[in-house]
Amino acid sequence: MSVQQNLEIRRSSASVWGSQSGMRSVPTVSKYIDTTTCIGCKACEAACIEWNDLRHIATEQTGTYQTLPTLHAEYWNLIRFNERDFDGGLVWLMRKDQCMHCEEPGCLAACPAPGAIVQYANGIVDVNPDQCIGCKYCETGCPFDVPRFHQTTGKMAKCTLCVDRVSVGLEPACIKACPTGCLQFGTKDDMVALGARRVEQLKSNGFTNALLYNPEGVHGTGVVTVLAHGDHPEWYQLPRDPHVPILVRFWKSFLRPLGAIAIFGAVIGALTHYTKFGPKEVRGVDAPDRNLPDA
Amino acid sequence: MSAARPQRPFDTAVVAARDRENVIVGNEIVRHRLVSRVIHWSVAVTFFVCVFTGMPIWTPVFGWMAHLFGGLTVCRLLHPWAGVAFFLASGIMFVHWIGDMRLEPGDREWLGPKAFAYMRYETEDTDIGKYNGGQRLFFWAAGLGAIGLLLSGLLMWFPRAFPPLLLEFAYLIHDVTFILFAVAIVFHIYLGTAAEPGTFGSMVRGTVTREWARLHHPRWYRDVISGEEDRRR
Repeated sequence: MSVQQNLEIRRSSASVWGSQSGMRSVPTVSKYIDTTTCIGCKACEAACIEWNDLRHIATEQTGTYQTLPTLHAEYWNLIRFNERDFDGGLVWLMRKDQCMHCEEPGCLAACPAPGAIVQYANGIVDVNPDQCIGCKYCETGCPFDVPRFHQTTGKMAKCTLCVDRVSVGLEPACIKACPTGCLQFGTKDDMVALGARRVEQLKSNGFTNALLYNPEGVHGTGVVTVLAHGDHPEWYQLPRDPHVPILVRFWKSFLRPLGAIAIFGAVIGALTHYTKFGPKEVRGVDAPDRNLPDA
Repeated sequence: MSAARPQRPFDTAVVAARDRENVIVGNEIVRHRLVSRVIHWSVAVTFFVCVFTGMPIWTPVFGWMAHLFGGLTVCRLLHPWAGVAFFLASGIMFVHWIGDMRLEPGDREWLGPKAFAYMRYETEDTDIGKYNGGQRLFFWAAGLGAIGLLLSGLLMWFPRAFPPLLLEFAYLIHDVTFILFAVAIVFHIYLGTAAEPGTFGSMVRGTVTREWARLHHPRWYRDVISGEEDRRR
């Protein structure tokens, strides 16, 4: 988004020297999602499309009320209608699927294009299409399978947490549209406190495994989710222990710098060899034709 | 044979005679005929397009290379196609040279001390044929590397078609193969130019001097002189 220059950047992809100016101190913000009070009205889906001027794409019948099977470059916010059979009958474990705005973003870790993925000081993780090269590395880096390649633009696209609204003091469009209050927006601390209260409430109502999903593996997320069945995040199609893939970390932060050193080392090695040994020349021949055949 | 008269580079008879490998033309021996050279340079050109479009994506340390092609986005668009071209060129080269590159029993030693001894100019091996063990090993490693780069590259090109864990390994394989390739290429170029004068000519004119052949590939030299190399084909 072009609002980038108005915001303090905490971290930027493929940056060698860091991107923080350190001039502004802003609190980390977070979305709060209470899956237990979501009614599946999809107002947030509509608000997201509307505010972000996304193109309308054909919906797809998946056998449930769900709009699409999965997120799309033109559909950043999807209510997943997870159906489960309990003793009392069918239960919808609806969950709002979107970018989780990880504190430790795997997409940003994997991204090779300088400045294409940034994390603002307020914690929002954003794609900067101007710098994005559409290499799809972020797809491999993301533990939540969120970033999508846009076929028309050749760029990656995902939820921006309405950074353009947040940066001028508004709440994200999805939050604004939610009729039940299951979506809230505020500082991360406030949202975690709100979640903790709701989890207590759920526990006293018999949902003993209730949990605020704010996974440690990615140092917490900028979207905290109340799950009634916290012992089964997979029922909500959430990973149990998400983290930046270890191999992504390995090749990005270790192998590649090491490889660069190896290549420079090879060049220096060749130069050193040339300086020490010199060329392997054909010596002692001044006329082209003497006593050659006895090699 | 008119002995001491130096060859004129554009002698048409000489150019024509260079169509056949391992034959004596004037004072020189044809080492790589035109088709071999064209295949080699098509591999080299596609390789370097891959290198200069890939390395700025690989790590920002090489970000400046992106300017050669008009920016990182152009690099990202070119790289996979250049990779396919490189693979095809490598495939052709592999088939073209495989007859000359059959590994011999002693070649394994080139992986260790023999390579270092060679670099110190300490070897007095008179049994080196058209290619030495190091060159043959490089040939096979390059072929294997081309396959590794292609397969891992395809996964990276179409990530959603493959399981995530496989993808993580694809990046790893692409990286490791590239690093080995890059280090090997640095020495390949160094040995082919500065370190061993006369070698580069075999890839541009196609010919080497008799002295060069006797020094670097004595068995091949003997075979060419005696006509043995010709009969073998």
